Amino acid sequence: MVDVGQITKLAEKEIKRSVSLDVLSKLEIKYLGRNGEINKLLSAIKNIPDEQKKTYGQRVNKLKASMYRYIETRKKELQNKKSGVFFDKTLPGKTYPKGSLHIVSFAIEEITKVFEKIGFIRVSYPEVDWEYGAFESLNMPVNHPARDDVETSFIDTPAHPKLGKMVLTPHTSNGQNREMKRVGKPPIRMINISKCYRPNWDATHTPMFHQFEGLCVDKDISIVNLKGTLDYFAEKYFGVGTKTRLRPHHFQFTEPSFEVDISCNNCGGTGIIKANRCKVCKSGWLELGGTGMVHPNVLREGGIDPSASSGWAFGFGIERVIMMKYGLDDIRNYYSGDIRFLEQF
Amino acid sequence: MILEIITAGTYDSWNNFKMNIKITHKWLLDYLDTDATPDQVREYLSLCGPSIESVEKIGSDYVFDIEVISNRIDYASVLGIAQEAVAILPMFGKKAKFKENPLEKYNFKKYYLTHDRDIDNKKLNIEIKNKFLCPRFTAVIIDNVKIGTSPKFITERLIACGIKSINNVVDISNYLMLAFGQPVHVFDYDQIKGETMIMRESKKGEKIVTLDEKEVTLPGGDIVMEDGSGRLIDLCGIMGGLNSAITEKTKSVVLFVQTYDKVQIRKTTMSTGVRTVASTFFEKGLDPERVEPTLVFGVELLEKYAGGKVASKIYDIYPKPSKEKLLMMSYRLFDKKIGVEIPRKKINEILINLGFTVGEDSKQGLTLVEGQTLHITVPSFRTNDINIPEDIIEEVARVYGYQNIPSVLQPIVYVDQPKEMEDIFVFQNRIKIFLKHLGLNEVINYSMVSKDRLIDFGLDPKDHLRLSNTLSKDIEYLRTNLTVSLLKNIKENSGKKDVLRLFEIAKVYFPKKGDLPDEIYKVGIAVNTDYSDLKGIIEGIYKELNINTLPIPEIVEKDGVYMIELDFQSLIDNSKLVPTYKPIHPFAVIKLDKTFKIGPGHTYEVISQLAEKSKLLQKIEVVTLFENKLTLRFYYSSPDRNITEEEAKQELNGV
Repeated sequence: MVDVGQITKLAEKEIKRSVSLDVLSKLEIKYLGRNGEINKLLSAIKNIPDEQKKTYGQRVNKLKASMYRYIETRKKELQNKKSGVFFDKTLPGKTYPKGSLHIVSFAIEEITKVFEKIGFIRVSYPEVDWEYGAFESLNMPVNHPARDDVETSFIDTPAHPKLGKMVLTPHTSNGQNREMKRVGKPPIRMINISKCYRPNWDATHTPMFHQFEGLCVDKDISIVNLKGTLDYFAEKYFGVGTKTRLRPHHFQFTEPSFEVDISCNNCGGTGIIKANRCKVCKSGWLELGGTGMVHPNVLREGGIDPSASSGWAFGFGIERVIMMKYGLDDIRNYYSGDIRFLEQF
Repeated sequence: MILEIITAGTYDSWNNFKMNIKITHKWLLDYLDTDATPDQVREYLSLCGPSIESVEKIGSDYVFDIEVISNRIDYASVLGIAQEAVAILPMFGKKAKFKENPLEKYNFKKYYLTHDRDIDNKKLNIEIKNKFLCPRFTAVIIDNVKIGTSPKFITERLIACGIKSINNVVDISNYLMLAFGQPVHVFDYDQIKGETMIMRESKKGEKIVTLDEKEVTLPGGDIVMEDGSGRLIDLCGIMGGLNSAITEKTKSVVLFVQTYDKVQIRKTTMSTGVRTVASTFFEKGLDPERVEPTLVFGVELLEKYAGGKVASKIYDIYPKPSKEKLLMMSYRLFDKKIGVEIPRKKINEILINLGFTVGEDSKQGLTLVEGQTLHITVPSFRTNDINIPEDIIEEVARVYGYQNIPSVLQPIVYVDQPKEMEDIFVFQNRIKIFLKHLGLNEVINYSMVSKDRLIDFGLDPKDHLRLSNTLSKDIEYLRTNLTVSLLKNIKENSGKKDVLRLFEIAKVYFPKKGDLPDEIYKVGIAVNTDYSDLKGIIEGIYKELNINTLPIPEIVEKDGVYMIELDFQSLIDNSKLVPTYKPIHPFAVIKLDKTFKIGPGHTYEVISQLAEKSKLLQKIEVVTLFENKLTLRFYYSSPDRNITEEEAKQELNGV
C-alpha cells in the first residue's frame, strides 16, 4: 500500500532543498516523468479496493497539482538566484491613481443618507435670495434687532419693491418657506444642504460655509419627535451611544427654541480623561447647533395653518459636525484650495 | 459706568449673538434661600434656563459665567437668575425660595415711610423733548456724598464679576446694574449747569466727550442730555459725559435711572461704534417697572456706603405706565406641542415660580371650556418675550425639563423628491467619484472672486453680481465661471506638488435684471499636465455617463494650465444609465492598421468621419502617433455574416 501523504511530504522537502536548476529538473523527472512517482501511484490504482478508488484518485491528482506548483515556484526562485535578481515581495504593488473628494462632500453624502432613511428628501434652493426669504418669511421683520445680529452679505443691485434687498443667504433656513410653498400642504420632510455666507473671516470663521437644515411639518409633531430625530441623527452620524441634550435658547423662527449638545465621544461624555479635563468638550458635551419647534408665524407665512399642523426645524453647520466628528478644526484650510489639505481625503 | 465690553459676537448654526454676564454665588444668596451647591446651580439652570458656562471659585465665593440669550435680558442680573432658580431648582428636588423678593422690598411706598416726600433742598429742572425715546425717567439728588473706597463685599463682588472698582459711588452704580439688571448713571450734581436737564435728540455732527475721554461725533437723532448751559452731559444709555463725571471732589450726585427706546440705542451704538455694557442692556429693551426698585435700592446704598443724604424729591416721569399683559390658552395645547402630558398642577406651579399669575376660570372666555383654560398674567419683566401661547409652552417645557420628555421619531411618510432635484445630487456624486478615481482632487472654492481675477480672465466685472459690503476685495464678485478659481488654485499650489489635476462642481451666478440670478451648476476641471490628459478626462466622463452626442466644449489654455467648464445640466440631459445594447454576434472581426500623415485639414476628426461612413466599422483606436505620422487601428465586422479581409480593406480604401 502506497502512502500518498508520505510522498507528498518528501517531494515538497526535496524540491525546496534543491540547490540548482539541474537538481530540480531531475526531481521533476523523478516525480512527474513518464515513469515518475505520480504515474506509479496512478497505475497502482488497480490494486486499490473499489470503494476507495475515488478518494485515492482525488488525492493523487491533488498531489500532482501541488507538485507542479512547487516546481514552478522553486524554478523562479532558482532563476532569480542565478541571475542575481532578488524578488522583493515587500515592494508596493503597481500604483493606481488616487484622487480625493472634499471633506465637505463626504459629510454632505453621509448626512443625506442618514436622513433619507427616515424619509427626508434633499432639496436645492437659491443661495442668492431676497431679504424676504432670508428674514421676513422667518419671522424676522424689517428693523427686528435679530437682523442686525445676522451679519449679512448684501448684493449691490436695486432692491425688489416687495421682497427687499438681494442677499447671500446667511443660513439654510430660507429653504423653509420655499419648501412649504412647493409642497403646498404637509407632510414636509426636508433636508436642505447648501452654501451660506456671512461677512466674517477669522481663525474660526470663513465667509462661506455650509449648513444643513432639517424641517418636518405634519399634524401633531411635537418636541418628542424633535428629540427622537436628534437622537437618531446623533447615533447614526456620531456613533452608537452618542446622546443628545436640549438646552433652552432663542431663535426668531422657532418657539420653543433649543440648543442641542451631543455627548463627547472623546471622553465618553464624562468631561474627564485619566483624571484630566477632556480637551475636546465642555464637561462632557459638545454644542451641535440650534433647533426648535417651527414658529406659528413661519408656518403661516408658508401657507400652513398652525392650528392644524406643527413642526420642528434645525440648522447645523457642516464644518462644525466635521470638526466634531473628525477633529478637523483648521477651518481656514477648507476653502484655501491647498492641495496638501485636499489630497488627504 | 462700565467701560469694558463683555459681549462678543459669534455665530454657530443659526444666528446667535452671545452676551455673557458674571454674578457670584454669595450675591445670589442675598436673595435666594437654597440648599443647592454652586455646581448644582450651574448644572440645573443650564439644563432648564440660563446657560451657565462655568463656575469659578474666587476667594470664598463662586463666580457664574452666564450666557444671556437675546430675548432674555430679564435674567441678566442676580435678581433675574434668582427668579429662574426659584422655578428650576425645585424640579431637581432642591429648596429654592426668595428670602425677600427685592421687587417687593424696594418700592416708593416703603421709601416714603422713611423719606420726606417733598424735600426740596436741591432741585432739577427737567425737560424731555421726545417722551417716546424715554419711557421712564427717574432721578434723585443725593447730597453730602463722600467719595471713597467701597465696602469690601462690593469691591470683591465687582472684581469677581470682571468689573473694576473705582470709588464707592461709581461702584454702587455698577453694583445696581448687576444686582437688578438695570443700568444707572450718576452725575456730579454741581457740574450740571443751571440745575437743568434737557433730554433731546442730538443734531447731526454734535460732539460729546464721554467718560473714557474720547470725543464722539453724533450722527443725529441720538438720545442726549443737555444742561442749562447748552453742554451735552450724557450720551444717554451708552456713556456719560466727562464734564459731569464723578470726581474725588464730588459732593452731590444725581442718581439717574431710566429706560430708553431700544431701537434708538442700538442705532447709536451701531453708528458711533461706542458700545458699553449699559448699551447692551438698553438695546434689548428694559422693563420700566424695574426702575423703581433700582432707584430705591440705589438710594439705600448711597446713604449707607457714601454717607449720602437725600436732597430732593424723586423725579419720576412715566407717562405710559406698563400695562398688565394677559394670555389665555387651553391646557390641551401643552400636551399637543410638548408631546407628553404634564400635570396641570405642575404647569401652574412652574408658571407661578417664574413670576406669572395664573387662573383657571374666566367669565369672558366663552368659547373656551371652563376649567380647561389657563389665564395667565405676564410679569412686567417678561412682557417683551412672552407674546403667544407657544412662548408659555416653552416656559413650562424647559422648566419641566427637556431631559424628562421622551424621544420618539415621527412616523415615516413618503414625500416625493422632484426628479430635477434628485438628479442634481445623484449626478454630482457620480461625477465626483469618477473623477476622484481618475486621480483628480476635488476643490471647493469661495463663490466670490476678485475683480482682478475676472479681468485677468477676460471677463467683464459688470456681468457679475457684486457684494456691497464685502470683507475683502478677494471675494467681491460672484463668479460666473469656475475655472477662474481653479486657475488660481493651480498657481497657488505650484511648488507643493508637480502634477495638479483639480475639479470643482458648484453653482455659478448669472445676473438677471430685476430678479434673482440664474444659479447654474457647472463642472470645472483644470490640469497642469497637457491637453490630451484633460480631453481624456472629459471623454472618460462621457463614457461613464454613456453620453454619445454631446460635443466637447473648448479647452482653454493659460500659462500651461488646461481648463474646461462643462454644463452640469447638459451632462444630466444627455446621459443614459445603461447604454444602447448591441447584440453579440459570432462573426469575425477584421482589424486593419493604417498610417496617416496628419496636418491642417487632415486631422483625426476628418479621417474618422470618413471612416465612419462604412457601415461595417465598429471602432477606431489610436495605435501610435510619431511626429505627424498617425497609426490607427480599424475594426470591421458585420452582425449577420463573416466578412473577408478583402471586404474590410475595401471599406478602408476610401479613407
